[in-house]
Amino acid sequence: MAVAVVLLSGAPFHGGCCRHKVFLSLLGPLLSNSKLYSSYRRPGAEPKKKLSWQNADFSFKKSIDHLKTQLSLLTKETQDYLQGPGGHPLSQHVLEQTRVLWQFRSQEDLNKWVISSDVEIGGKSKVYIKLGRNNQAALLYGTLNTEVPRDGETKYSGYCSMRSRPAVGSFNRKKYYDWSNFNSLYLRVRGDGRPWMVNIYTDPYFSHQKDDLYSYFMFTRGGPYWEEIKIPFSKFFFSSRGRVQDNQHPVWLDKASFLTLGLTIGDKVDGPFQLEIDFIGLLNDRAHREEFAYETYDKN
Amino acid sequence: FTTSLLLGTTMTISSNHWIMAWAGLEINTLAILPMISKSHHPRAIEAATKYFLTQATASALLLFSSMINAWQTGQWDITQLTNPTSCLILTSAIAMKLGLVPFHFWFPEVLQGTPLTTGLLLSTLMKFPPITLLYMTSPSLNPTVLTFMAILSTALGGWMGLNQTQIRKILAFSSISHLGWMTIIISYNPKLTLLNFYLYALMTTATFLTLNSTKTSKLSTLMTTWTKAPALNAALLLTLLSLAGLPPLTGFLPKWLIIQELTKQDMA
Repeated sequence: MAVAVVLLSGAPFHGGCCRHKVFLSLLGPLLSNSKLYSSYRRPGAEPKKKLSWQNADFSFKKSIDHLKTQLSLLTKETQDYLQGPGGHPLSQHVLEQTRVLWQFRSQEDLNKWVISSDVEIGGKSKVYIKLGRNNQAALLYGTLNTEVPRDGETKYSGYCSMRSRPAVGSFNRKKYYDWSNFNSLYLRVRGDGRPWMVNIYTDPYFSHQKDDLYSYFMFTRGGPYWEEIKIPFSKFFFSSRGRVQDNQHPVWLDKASFLTLGLTIGDKVDGPFQLEIDFIGLLNDRAHREEFAYETYDKN
Repeated sequence: FTTSLLLGTTMTISSNHWIMAWAGLEINTLAILPMISKSHHPRAIEAATKYFLTQATASALLLFSSMINAWQTGQWDITQLTNPTSCLILTSAIAMKLGLVPFHFWFPEVLQGTPLTTGLLLSTLMKFPPITLLYMTSPSLNPTVLTFMAILSTALGGWMGLNQTQIRKILAFSSISHLGWMTIIISYNPKLTLLNFYLYALMTTATFLTLNSTKTSKLSTLMTTWTKAPALNAALLLTLLSLAGLPPLTGFLPKWLIIQELTKQDMA
């Protein structure tokens, strides 16, 4: 009897408690500090101990130096603006047919690129970059390992990549270039016969387009001779989050910031790889008349 | 969609009630969005999204302005806009609709993402209803604010168009600059605004249609059009000089009359 009284008196309390739990579970994503995606930490990722704002350095002297650097960059940008589009005279913009974007002659040129591999998802591939012989090229080398990390959710592994850093102007504003005069990417490389994938990431304005990527293949010969590979921009196919999309369109080059030009190896073959890159540039190939290599169709 | 555009424009320019004017503007906005995003390219979708956001904000401000005026004065007549707050909000709404400085940032990006024919509609037909509303409410608006925006538009439209290599962006900045000329005179002689607009629409239509026929979208392509259509290229040269306002071409006329009127008002 006493037990029944206790249980009965406890029922509204439990009901209220359950209601409280349901309420909290509905508001859970709003109340918690976790990010919108999964908070699971992959084996290769470093544990985040500090929040990003805690890493900020509030030194006054450093901020003054930073401000001076940014103002000098702004001055240079203004002078370039007075000279012409992209800091060059208009005649140069109209007449140029080739342009070198990245060449590897010093450590500073290497610092414009970031290398990464599947270590960030728990894999075992290794990648390194250094200057080649006589500082005439960059040497990207390493070992590919397709062993899948045993975390229960990764199915594939084994990739290494080299991506360019984004071009920023004064006050960390994005720099946009007009590369519509060119229709091909030109690379002078010396590979080891393994196929690479060239990825172009054009910085989109809206967040739902941040996973968009334009890709094409680069097949290298293994010989001792350098090869000059021309990849027309009309060949790049469009993919989003790694999946090739049905609705294809050519990459627009008029506002090409080319936040990332990437070279990725992921041919599912274990073993060492090596790629020497002399320079990467743009070319206006007058003989290439193709606008787009893939079928575009109207939905309606 | 073209019929909807004409309907929206006609509704706005023939309306006396603010709600009808707002409805016409909304119909225009909604009708042009599928035309902007027709190609389904990410850049076109971006242009459509930017256009929708700015125009929707401007429409909301316009409605807000008319509601404040209706609340204070008890009537919805477009020509009877008397409340100062309403006038200020309406000025900013129309400036956003037209692309006047400092609400101009969307215009070059939107025009760059659209095909040339839709760009033509954006530069001419879509400007007509807001200009009409500005014309109808011009006696009530603050001349200082209008002059300030007009001078900035004329100056910035010219300077920012200097180093552009894409023709649609150049025409967008030209539009901003011409709108500055139209806005500066509206408080003193609104008919000159309309004359300027009609002549600007004519010259811009000629320019856009010429560029569309030669499939030109950037300067380097424009450099080689003389081999394909020499007569059309020569006509384009004259049209562009007219847009620039060089005498003795037609484009000089509105600029001359505007400066003459401003001189009479002790402003030039």
